[in-house]
Amino acid sequence: MSSKSLNQPRKESDRHDAKKWYSAILARPEVGPVGVMLLLFGMLGYFSIPAGEFSLNPFSGEGFNALAIRNNLRVISQLGIVAIGAGLLIISGEFDLSIGSMIGFAGGVMAMILRWGFAVVIPYVSFEGGLHIETYTLFKITDVSPLLAICITLCFTLFFGWLQGFIIVKTGLASFIVTLGGLFFLRGLTEVCYRAFNKKPDQTAGSTTVTEIPDIKNIVNIPGHGELERDVAKNLPQEELLDLLKTVPEATILKLTEKLTHINEKVAASKTLLLKSKGVKGLEKALENATASGNEGMIAILQDKIANFKIEPATAKAVSDVDLAKAYIDTIHSARPVANFFGGDIMEPLFNWLYFTVDWNVNNYGNQFADGLYSCLMIWFLLALICYVLLSQTQAGNWIYSTGGNLNAAKANGVPTNKVKISLFMFSAFCATMFAACQVFETNTADTAKGNLKELEAIAAAVIGGVVLTGGFGTVVGIIVGAAIFGIAKEAFFYIPGVDGSFYRVFLGIVLLASALTNENIRKRVIGSA
Amino acid sequence: MTDKKPLIEISKLVKKFGSFTALNGVSLNVYPGEVHALLGDNGAGKSTLIKVLSGVHSATDGAIKVDGEEVHFNSPREASDAGIGTVYQDLALNALTSVTRNFFLGREIKKGPGALGIMQMNEMNEITIREMKKIGINIANPEQPVGTMSGGQRQTLAIARAIYFGAKILILDEPTSALGQKQQMEVLKTVKRVKNLGNIAIILITHNEIHARLVADRFTFLSLGEVIGSGLSSELGGDDVKRLMAGGADIGDLAKELENVT
Ligand SMILES: Nc1ncnc2c1ncn2[C@@H]1O[C@H](COP(=O)(O)OP(=O)(O)OP(=O)(O)O)[C@@H](O)[C@H]1O
Ligand SMILES: [Mg+2]
Repeated sequence: MSSKSLNQPRKESDRHDAKKWYSAILARPEVGPVGVMLLLFGMLGYFSIPAGEFSLNPFSGEGFNALAIRNNLRVISQLGIVAIGAGLLIISGEFDLSIGSMIGFAGGVMAMILRWGFAVVIPYVSFEGGLHIETYTLFKITDVSPLLAICITLCFTLFFGWLQGFIIVKTGLASFIVTLGGLFFLRGLTEVCYRAFNKKPDQTAGSTTVTEIPDIKNIVNIPGHGELERDVAKNLPQEELLDLLKTVPEATILKLTEKLTHINEKVAASKTLLLKSKGVKGLEKALENATASGNEGMIAILQDKIANFKIEPATAKAVSDVDLAKAYIDTIHSARPVANFFGGDIMEPLFNWLYFTVDWNVNNYGNQFADGLYSCLMIWFLLALICYVLLSQTQAGNWIYSTGGNLNAAKANGVPTNKVKISLFMFSAFCATMFAACQVFETNTADTAKGNLKELEAIAAAVIGGVVLTGGFGTVVGIIVGAAIFGIAKEAFFYIPGVDGSFYRVFLGIVLLASALTNENIRKRVIGSA
Repeated sequence: MTDKKPLIEISKLVKKFGSFTALNGVSLNVYPGEVHALLGDNGAGKSTLIKVLSGVHSATDGAIKVDGEEVHFNSPREASDAGIGTVYQDLALNALTSVTRNFFLGREIKKGPGALGIMQMNEMNEITIREMKKIGINIANPEQPVGTMSGGQRQTLAIARAIYFGAKILILDEPTSALGQKQQMEVLKTVKRVKNLGNIAIILITHNEIHARLVADRFTFLSLGEVIGSGLSSELGGDDVKRLMAGGADIGDLAKELENVT
């Protein structure tokens, strides 16, 4: 017997091995997904660098140029928005298959309201001139603001979310079947509405899209002209543009001139480079032919020509007043901040800086590659931040975990589990509506197929991120990573030479299965049965 | 002891599930500082009785008085507000979250509006450690998942939680089942410590006669939803207990029955 145990009785805390500093990190359930994500980012960076070029800088390839970042982040954040709603719901022990249809429905409602306005009508049966249905219009708003359109849409979607949750907690039916019903119901309803509202005067069925919505986020207030779409304003007659320029302060014009000069110089420089490489390529081809035919004299001449190849540098275009006016119109802030919030760009100053100062973010023609990032990234970020705090720090978070972890225990301790579930069904509908709002205001169109299969992708992203399908287990950070993996896999596989791009689905299938197994293992370890 | 006023008086309690009568006019009194053992065969209605007491089910008929006042519970919350703390057979713990999160489940200390209030984790951790220590368990890390605790520790957690949140009447549903010998003793020690606090009435449900004998002051025997016997620990002989626990059948009869089994 050791003397230590005689002097000091063994305490409970002695039974835990002292932890290494990294063991806390490794024990986190997000480690696996983060690893996969980094692997995919590495793959995308590596494989998108054109063959033959060598670079350790992943940003030099196509996969991570400014435009690709802009587009990839859009895919990731759109999925991320709905994955958060789906993930929280799964943690509470339920899930929602109606997300995709909800996106289509919300987008349709929003677009139709923006296009045709909103009215509340009461139908009634009329006998005058034969039996038919008349309608009485209670009220009608024709020019609906973006904010109002979103609010009205939310009334519909939140109601459907509430209804699904209510049915599930009251009847005890599986959420699978109730929300599967929701999936069909909403998609069908959306299609019916599209056709009904698009009906042509001759009563033939209408299309299932809504177009011809103005570019609301780009409506600007032009002095002397009122509100105009940016593109319309830029195409005003020249003299009107010049008149507009007169109202612009001197300092602004100076700045704009400087900017445009800079751009024109870059464009000219790129053009020179382009012409030069074209010229050299022609000569190189001739050299190849000469080598093939063994024409010694010709080879020497061509080699000399290539070495001394010079080209007259292209001259930068002068900055005209019309250009200045157009550039000025570009700087005017949107007169529809809500539409811009959902459908516009963010981080433009950063991307300008990257173009003007860092000399990155430049496309082959010398122009700015990406103006900024899609604002759905910001919406995703905000949602994620709020949900992170909600789930990990607040009372509601503890309720969500316990509702999914042990429903009876939660009930016995007075947790309003039904309210928790219904709220999360509504939140899932809210996320779908945010997704739809981003899409509608960005593209100014909507169609009935929008959001197709998104519910399954959202669930997959949540599971890849460490959420257990039976509930009670998962984190917001994990869900974020899961969405990133899902969004980036396609791009990464696209660039692998000689590999069919569709392999990304194969890869995702395997990752999904592996994640589900790992999650289940971690869960079992935590509840002490493995 | 009998001159004490009962903390909880149950009279002629009836509970029906549809056409099935789970409890058929059950009466019993529980006194502060006493352990009242509730014994009976499987399906006798013990769990049903305490579910009515703790507001999970509502009674079909009969009355419950706490501190002399008649009460009607519509939810577990109302029962626990009235001072009835229940430790269920399944302990009502979420194995996936931490000790602290379980200790405060449903009653989190928070700052901020409604359920969106931020939980005060440090304060909650401290209280959890302190309260667990009071009834005999030192936990090393209040952030560890409950799933990693031993069965006895989980019992203690559930009991400490009930007491901390003002339970005057502590209901323990088979706290020693599914535990090893040593942990059973741990739990009985905990029960004894709570009893010694003096102001808490304990209802202990068990199938283990020895455990009941060790800590209980008073016994009530249920069979098929009815009380078939009750009394002070000092008044009951070992054979009485055995007979009543088996639902009233004589031990001799049981022995005969067993002999006939081939
Ligand atoms: N919600 C319910 N609906 C219908 N019948 C029920 C319900 N709950 C319990 N019962 C029935 O009531 C009777 C008493 O059950 P109860 O759980 O109270 O028994 P118990 O004495 O706790 O048994 P055990 O010792 O096995 O825990 C059983 O026959 C049971 O099937
Ligand atoms: Mg029972």
